[in-house]
Amino acid sequence: MKKFLSLVLAVSMLLTLCSFASADAVQEITYSLYSEPDGIDPSITNNSFASAVLANCFEGLMTYDIETGALICGEAADYTVSDDGTVYTFTLREGLKWSDGTTHDANDYVYTVKRILTPETAAKYVSLATDYIAGAAEYYAGETTDFDTVGIKAPDANTVVITLKAPAPYFPAILAMWTFAPVQQATVEANGDRWTASADTYVSNGPFHMAEINMGESFVLVKNDNYYAADSVKLEKVTLRFITDNGTALMAYESGEIDGMNTVPASDYARLKANDPGFVVSPSYGTTYWEFNCSKAPFDNVLVRKAFNLAIDRTALIEDVLQTDAEPAFSFIAPGYVVDGEDFVDAIGDFDLSDEADVEAAQACLAEAGYPNGEGFPEVTLYYYSSDTVKLVAEALAEMLSSNLNISVKIDVADWAVYYDDIVNLNYELGAMGWSGDYLHPMTYLPLLKTGDPNNNVGYSNPEYDALVEQAASMTDAKAAMEVMREADTLASSDYPFLNLYYKSNTTMMNPKVQSFLIDPTGILYLRTAFVAE
Amino acid sequence: MGKYLVKRAIMMAVTLFMIALLTFSLMHIVPGGPFTSDKQVSQAVLDAMTKKYNLDDPLWKQFFDYIGGVLRFDFGPSYKYQGKTVNDFIVNGMPYTATLGMVTLVFVLLISIPMGIVAALKNGRWQDMVLMTVATFGVTIPSFVIATGLMYIFSYKLGWLPTYGVDSWKGYILPMIAMGGYSISFLARLMRSSLLEVMGQDYIRTARAKGISEFRVVWKHALRNALIPVITVLGPTIANLLTGSFVIEKIFAIPGIGGYFVNSVTQRDYTTIMGMTIFYAAILIAMIFIVDLFYCLIDPRIKYE
Repeated sequence: MKKFLSLVLAVSMLLTLCSFASADAVQEITYSLYSEPDGIDPSITNNSFASAVLANCFEGLMTYDIETGALICGEAADYTVSDDGTVYTFTLREGLKWSDGTTHDANDYVYTVKRILTPETAAKYVSLATDYIAGAAEYYAGETTDFDTVGIKAPDANTVVITLKAPAPYFPAILAMWTFAPVQQATVEANGDRWTASADTYVSNGPFHMAEINMGESFVLVKNDNYYAADSVKLEKVTLRFITDNGTALMAYESGEIDGMNTVPASDYARLKANDPGFVVSPSYGTTYWEFNCSKAPFDNVLVRKAFNLAIDRTALIEDVLQTDAEPAFSFIAPGYVVDGEDFVDAIGDFDLSDEADVEAAQACLAEAGYPNGEGFPEVTLYYYSSDTVKLVAEALAEMLSSNLNISVKIDVADWAVYYDDIVNLNYELGAMGWSGDYLHPMTYLPLLKTGDPNNNVGYSNPEYDALVEQAASMTDAKAAMEVMREADTLASSDYPFLNLYYKSNTTMMNPKVQSFLIDPTGILYLRTAFVAE
Repeated sequence: MGKYLVKRAIMMAVTLFMIALLTFSLMHIVPGGPFTSDKQVSQAVLDAMTKKYNLDDPLWKQFFDYIGGVLRFDFGPSYKYQGKTVNDFIVNGMPYTATLGMVTLVFVLLISIPMGIVAALKNGRWQDMVLMTVATFGVTIPSFVIATGLMYIFSYKLGWLPTYGVDSWKGYILPMIAMGGYSISFLARLMRSSLLEVMGQDYIRTARAKGISEFRVVWKHALRNALIPVITVLGPTIANLLTGSFVIEKIFAIPGIGGYFVNSVTQRDYTTIMGMTIFYAAILIAMIFIVDLFYCLIDPRIKYE
């Protein structure tokens, strides 16, 4: 398998030549978001458009290094792990403050987890707490009302102790997610749901704080002077403007009205890539695939699924149809997770697949499955959700499959709410889907094929796989755990539950004058040390 | 007249109720729910949210609870946008949408009526041809094409006007033209044909025979009658402009209510669908009512009993 564009953990657009902001440039930027986030409460939302606000207004115990993209301590000064790998003790930095100037300590972290575990909060990422923290699931389920049974404590104002159900060496990466960023009890309790509705009550602890919330229009963030590393924050003002029309955003970018945008229109991709110095491609921890409904004929037959996987030309799809930068995918777990300099995908095979279609092998597979030359094969419906990009893919796939396998293929489309309902209820044959990791660890992918997982929408079930995933989840040795996870991946991917297409990449436009920012593999933009150069 | 007003008020209330009932039924019939997102949340979270928004109540109860709220001008919390209410959308978005709508309306009237009059009076001559050709373009070219074209020329190439937003008065110019294009063309054509018809009637010949000036014939005698069909369509047109255009608001990134209205449908944000529909319907019904009253002023033959 080809190496993924010399993949680094994250791309940091860092020009360290001049690591201080020029005195003359105005330290203000406007960045366009493709959509208004459905909420900016870090404990509740799972909306990726909220990330630009949350990652820059809040900071949890852990965060990412802007320069290298590596996981580093955030508000924690340091942490230790017990020998059995279940007890994490975090020591906080001295003198932490909220953006309103009041002090903030370890108890805020305890409160935040308690809030997440209160069902009325309706925290979308609650499973991140219930899956890992000891006693959390029981508390959330209402089996006990005693929060002392939950494995998060603040023995003193400067220490947070988190006890896990079972060892999870990647837990610090989970703590870097915004879900675990602390929220201020006073403002949440005084304003209820509405604390995120006004800039005055939106108290945060990160490098920036909210100055204006203009519904339907923008968020305006300004530098938070109470941030512990306020000296290193150079931008004075960041305007996150919602421009839901890509064409408009691009014109605004090209005419210099905005400094950056988080999506690039497919039709302008090639031109911008060739001509615009602000074009930034960064690896994304995500995979685009189609799902086979493994629970129903004809896709309950592994040979049929394999034949489909062999019959598509991934290179043509990427280069001719989508005209984008992406790497063909043969497994559902994207590259990016590295242990001792070795990427997870390095030892993952190609499962007899290749970048281009292998028509002969595909037809042989289909014949072996009992459909020589596609004879007797039922008509297949490619089902997708309304999206211009996915439409292109669907049409290309239909053409490849029908001509290479000599079968009849139909295309069907629905809007997302209807579509997703059908997917979850296994009411489809072959459906467009994809996954973007929530945190940089294969464990964000593996449950997709685990029996009974709410995100397993393919009807795939393999007890051996389930056992391997469970085993890997609690292994303390990262290297050994990686081997077990690779074993699980190999096991499942040899059953071809997905029609894997390509590994995603993030494309962003950013004025080349804006420097020292990070777009992490989950697509989150960090502006902690960003500045506008002369 | 008083009796008529009471009758109309009751009819309007019944209409609104029926619209609410129909919308409520339709949105519950279509598959999908408000909590469908791209990351599947666990059943426990779904249950918690269902409980939080009383979605476990029987449907009839949900409906009447909602209507009760509407009577108190409370359109309920958004299911999709945490911590926001449908009232927030209307209160925050309506000023932008309505301002753009008013500006556009004035622009439309100032252009379309004179256009129609000139075209009618110069019937068959080059002025008529030119104006009606322009009007045909206005009706046939979709607003988003006009919008993109204008933006490309005036914002991108010339840099005279902002690409997006309405932070200054300049921001209103392009959306106004793009949004008004259709109405201008439509009203101009209507005005033209209506005036032509009136000009051919006997009483106009009588007026001319009396020897009054052509200006007075048109202005005093013809125009008032010719305006009746225009006023009829003006009601829905005003309602349309005031409630905004989703497409125009999206293209120019104007923080109006259009986006919330349209997105609420795909997102199955039940309260927002209901609230926005009732709000829109109320404006539309009110406008039609006002137009009906205006008939009396224009045409003394029309009386309401």
